[in-house]
Amino acid sequence: MFTDAFMLRALLAAVFLGPVCGLLGVFVTARRLAFFSDTVAHSALAGVAFGLWLGASDPTVAMLIVSLAVAFLLLWLRRHTELLTDTLLALLLSTSVALGVVVFSQLKGYRGEIERYLFGDILSVGSSDLMIAGGVSVGITFLLLHWFNSLTLITAHEDLAHVSGIPVRWIDLGFTLALTLIVTLAIRLVGIILVTSLLVIPAATARNLSQNLRQQTISAWLVGLASAVGGTMASYGLNFPCGPSIVLVCATFFLISLLIRKMHSGSHELEAP
Amino acid sequence: MHKIPPPALTVRDLRVNLGGLPVLRGVTLSVPKGELVALIGPNGSGKTTLLRAILGLQMIDSGEIRVLDQPLSPATLSRIGYVPQKLELDRSFGLSVREFMALRLPATRRWLWRSHRSIDAALLPAVAGLGIETLLDRPIARLSGGQLQRVLIAWSLLLNPEILLLDEPTAGVDTPGERSFYEMIESIHRQRRMTIVLVSHDLSMVFRYARWVYALNGVVCCEGTPEKIIQDDSLKKAYGLHLTPYHHHHEGLPHVH
Repeated sequence: MFTDAFMLRALLAAVFLGPVCGLLGVFVTARRLAFFSDTVAHSALAGVAFGLWLGASDPTVAMLIVSLAVAFLLLWLRRHTELLTDTLLALLLSTSVALGVVVFSQLKGYRGEIERYLFGDILSVGSSDLMIAGGVSVGITFLLLHWFNSLTLITAHEDLAHVSGIPVRWIDLGFTLALTLIVTLAIRLVGIILVTSLLVIPAATARNLSQNLRQQTISAWLVGLASAVGGTMASYGLNFPCGPSIVLVCATFFLISLLIRKMHSGSHELEAP
Repeated sequence: MHKIPPPALTVRDLRVNLGGLPVLRGVTLSVPKGELVALIGPNGSGKTTLLRAILGLQMIDSGEIRVLDQPLSPATLSRIGYVPQKLELDRSFGLSVREFMALRLPATRRWLWRSHRSIDAALLPAVAGLGIETLLDRPIARLSGGQLQRVLIAWSLLLNPEILLLDEPTAGVDTPGERSFYEMIESIHRQRRMTIVLVSHDLSMVFRYARWVYALNGVVCCEGTPEKIIQDDSLKKAYGLHLTPYHHHHEGLPHVH
């Protein structure tokens, strides 16, 4: 397994992206940003289509540009319209998917590409992707840890954070940028449709296993790592698509955590007078 | 000759429009240092807008706000303790009370890397007497309304502010909880001699505990002691209610119906 260069690249991508997705997921779930990450992921389809249409052999840069454009368009629309965020997200998600599919339809011989991006493909992780994923993941992990207190307070109460002297708008912008970059890069591994689960499920699993935020953060990091690596290996060994394998491993961890929590709360109930 | 100390909070002719509508139409008030005052008003009277303006969260159209005789700035904001109505957390966020308190205290800002014991060594003396020691291990999203208010007040007192601003503090608290909450506020006021501004529409409790009341309805429509203000026609007009003062024989305090 480890002698195949493509498999090694995929495993390294899993090691880079799984933990940082878990870490981001703690704030994504608490700040109700799952639909946002879903929209950013779907907008990457338009990025892939445009990249290939423009003749790029590797559409990663085009994906990043389109995803970031959609993320910032959302922030702008939220500030300048009175529409609900959910409405804006639905609008941007469907429009970017429609645009992506229309551009794809004009490309000859690329129809099979859509599925690779929708569900992830370990074969699609190239050396340049790996370098970008490694650099971005390490950078964002450090940034998240550096901003941890500020992000926690913003999550608890934005006005309280502002009054405490935290530059809420800049940190919010930085978090949006970090989330967009990681979601777009993780698409290679997990696919557009399933990438949000790599953010949400480790954080939810970690919540079941933890009593406080420190435990939740460490657990989410570990569950993200174990799911991404375990799923990638299962995908190789069982010849399953990569994204669904990672999500199924992740969901298994969640089920186990749920059982542990139920058993734990059950034993507490028994102890209660 | 005695020099009159500057007020803790001064607002002069403050005007704020929201979406083209004038919400504050020339609010002027002055809160003396060390006083426990209440800012009351019906829904839509501009209480929250005024509070947000004082905290630098709301752009103002004209007027002036001075905190401890200084214009608004990050430095003056650091002398205010703000207690919001509630937090925006849901249960998916595991933040414990200990971790929340540690965010505020300079000595415990690196709590993510420190043991509970070393966090508590710095934290416990700072929260002594505020009644939250037994809550430290609890996830903050699972506290009751009363417990959360206690934690938020303890949090806002950690850096020893000179002014405490409370926004509708008993909105999610049951009636017995309300009473013990206001008793805690009164005791903090007495022990620390700090300026406390309560924003509320909860007239009965406010009249019981505040020394001075400002009634807001776009402007300050009346102000005075609770006993005086309850008789004021403009307050009755602002609330559109029948406010009938009567006195408890044992307490001598007005109540509102």
